[in-house]
Amino acid sequence: MSTDEPSCLDILRRLKSTDPPLWLAPNPSLSQQARNASLVLFSSLRPHAPQSPVDHLLIDGFDAEQIWQQIELQSHPLLSLLKREVKRFEKSPREISRIFAEDPQRKDIPPEVQEREGRKEEEDVDEFDEDEAGASEDLDEEGDGAEEEEEEDGAEEEDEDRDEDESESGDEGAKGGIEDGFLKIKELEEYLQKDEAREYGFEDSAKKKAGNKERRGIDEDDSSDEGEKDDGDDDEPGGFGLDDDEEEEEIENARYEDFFGGNRKKAQRKPKVKDNSEEDASDEEDGDDRENENEQGNHNLSTHEKELLNMKSKIEQMETANLEPKTWTMQGEVTAAKRPKNSALEVDLDFEHNARPAPVITEEVTASLEDLIRKRIMEAHFNDVEKPPSLPGKGPREIKELDENKSKKGLAEIYEDEYATKANLVSAPSSFSDEQKKEATLLFKKLCLKLDALSHFHFAPKPVIEDMSIQANVPALAMEEIAPLAVSDAAMLAPEEVFSGKGDVKDESELTQADRKRRRAKKKRIHKAEEAKRMAKKTKHRTTPNPDEGKED
Amino acid sequence: MESSDASMEVAVASSDPKSSSLPPKPSFAPLKAQDMYDGRVQFRKVSVPPHRYSPLKKSWMDIYTPVYEQMKIDIRMNLKSRKVELKTRADTPDVSNLQKCADFVQAFMMGFDVIDAIALLRLDELYLESFEIKDVKTLKGEHLSRAIGRLSGKGGKTKFAIENATKTRIVIADTKIHILGSFANIKVARNSLCSLILGSPAGKVYSKLRVVTSRLAERF
Repeated sequence: MSTDEPSCLDILRRLKSTDPPLWLAPNPSLSQQARNASLVLFSSLRPHAPQSPVDHLLIDGFDAEQIWQQIELQSHPLLSLLKREVKRFEKSPREISRIFAEDPQRKDIPPEVQEREGRKEEEDVDEFDEDEAGASEDLDEEGDGAEEEEEEDGAEEEDEDRDEDESESGDEGAKGGIEDGFLKIKELEEYLQKDEAREYGFEDSAKKKAGNKERRGIDEDDSSDEGEKDDGDDDEPGGFGLDDDEEEEEIENARYEDFFGGNRKKAQRKPKVKDNSEEDASDEEDGDDRENENEQGNHNLSTHEKELLNMKSKIEQMETANLEPKTWTMQGEVTAAKRPKNSALEVDLDFEHNARPAPVITEEVTASLEDLIRKRIMEAHFNDVEKPPSLPGKGPREIKELDENKSKKGLAEIYEDEYATKANLVSAPSSFSDEQKKEATLLFKKLCLKLDALSHFHFAPKPVIEDMSIQANVPALAMEEIAPLAVSDAAMLAPEEVFSGKGDVKDESELTQADRKRRRAKKKRIHKAEEAKRMAKKTKHRTTPNPDEGKED
Repeated sequence: MESSDASMEVAVASSDPKSSSLPPKPSFAPLKAQDMYDGRVQFRKVSVPPHRYSPLKKSWMDIYTPVYEQMKIDIRMNLKSRKVELKTRADTPDVSNLQKCADFVQAFMMGFDVIDAIALLRLDELYLESFEIKDVKTLKGEHLSRAIGRLSGKGGKTKFAIENATKTRIVIADTKIHILGSFANIKVARNSLCSLILGSPAGKVYSKLRVVTSRLAERF
């Protein structure tokens, strides 16, 4: 490495001295120089990066992308290692003096890197600083730095990258100009970060992230960042407290599990971590431990992370609640036996009442009712149920009133009067009904006279034509082909017309003895009446009545 | 051949069996009361029950006058035998007068009023009918009294109602019932009285009466 150094430095100086516009066009000499320089650098860094699979940077016949990949393979763990070292140093300045005293070679490397490799080293460190500063930013920053490296190594790159890198290189160059032995920008930035973190708590998260990235690599994506960051944060102070040698051993012993598996790491962390031993034990499970860790490290989280934590806890609560059996109010039909005693009293039940609620009787209601009643009484407007007027089918029969007093006339006089009316000698004395009839007819005649006078006596009433029509007791529907929608059966015979309820209802076989007697008596009566009529007609012709007729003696 | 040989006073015209001409038919004047029974005087005697004695005394002139004046029948009261005696006179127009007068007096003795009984003198078709309650139904003690009460009604109104409706006169004398009226009316009255005795209420009897009498009235 030392033999290559001056040539390497020369190459680098030459690269640096070339005009920026020269970089725009692909220049094979420049690219070859850059490759050589990168080869040298690679091999110089090789002892510090034991994990790199490639011993020497393979340049010949390799693409810029491939070279870049190789460099990254080497530099990636190196960078994280360096970061850790720097953190350790800034935590404990005594260490630095010790290290510098013990290990001058080791100490030399970082200042070598800074001083000898000039701007490039500074740029690297600056990149490193930037990474630290913007710890919440992703690998993009690192990528940018790496890109820069790559650009300087390999000229066959796209213009955009060059532009970016040039701009960045410009910035860092300015930084490099300000810096001198006394003022270290990097330290200044670190201090600033620390201060900010004290105020806002960012630094811890940054440290955690860096630490996690160091340890877990891709595993970060699987598990929650916060937890890991917490872990890293918790672990790192302790981690930094250990000896450097132990760190080295740990790094050398780091295996796949350290990055991609959880068990070994946790097992390793146990002796380190004093505070969070409980957490480690439970950390094998993913779920609750995260929560515990979250609780412990809650005060270090951002608001977003806190929100996320809350949501998570709420979700878990809801899930457990859903798994339990529901309360009786949430179940469907619940009888009294299935719910606790008097529980329906506590719950505010709401169901539809089909009946109207009873009216609240207030004074106003009663006053209104009484007013209504009084008004109705005054008007005599009642809602009595009146019998519907029955249409008089027949005239009212003259009911002969039975006189219950002793008749004033003697029997002889009665018969005398009867005979006289029969013989038409004296007209029968008109009864009360006759007088009423007379009065009625008189009144009607007067009325008719007046009405006819209105029409000048020209009114001719319709002649009453009594015609017989045969009414078949068949519904109209049966007779008509096309039935109208509303078919009334008013044309049909009324039930009374079909059967008036008079006459012999009972059949011959149904008659009792008394019924038979009655029927026979009726027949005889009718026959006798006819006979008597005939006899009466006969006796009319006879002049002198036979005195012997009908005598009992 | 000839039916009445002995009683006939008038000589029977011997009929000669002639072939050519028959003797003219004899035309006889109607018999007078005296001529009947061979000119002998007819008597009728009607006994007077003790409860009718004083009413007879009271209304003797009402009885005597129409009998003597219009019917031309002698009438006298035999106090000793407590009988009313009737005798035909020479100028009694009709034989039946005596019987009518006898019936009239009999009716009075039964209990009818004179004005009602007078109808017997004037109308031929009036008859008297009497029956007893026990003929209809054997009733004893209180049932009998109740039946009698049912028959007459309160203040006699049921009886009067029947009388007025059927144009009859009814006399209820303890257990005997007498009805005076024409034949059909007597029947109707008798039926209603019998239904009353048998126990039907007065209202039912009234309704039946109404129906029957209306029918009777419609007949003519």
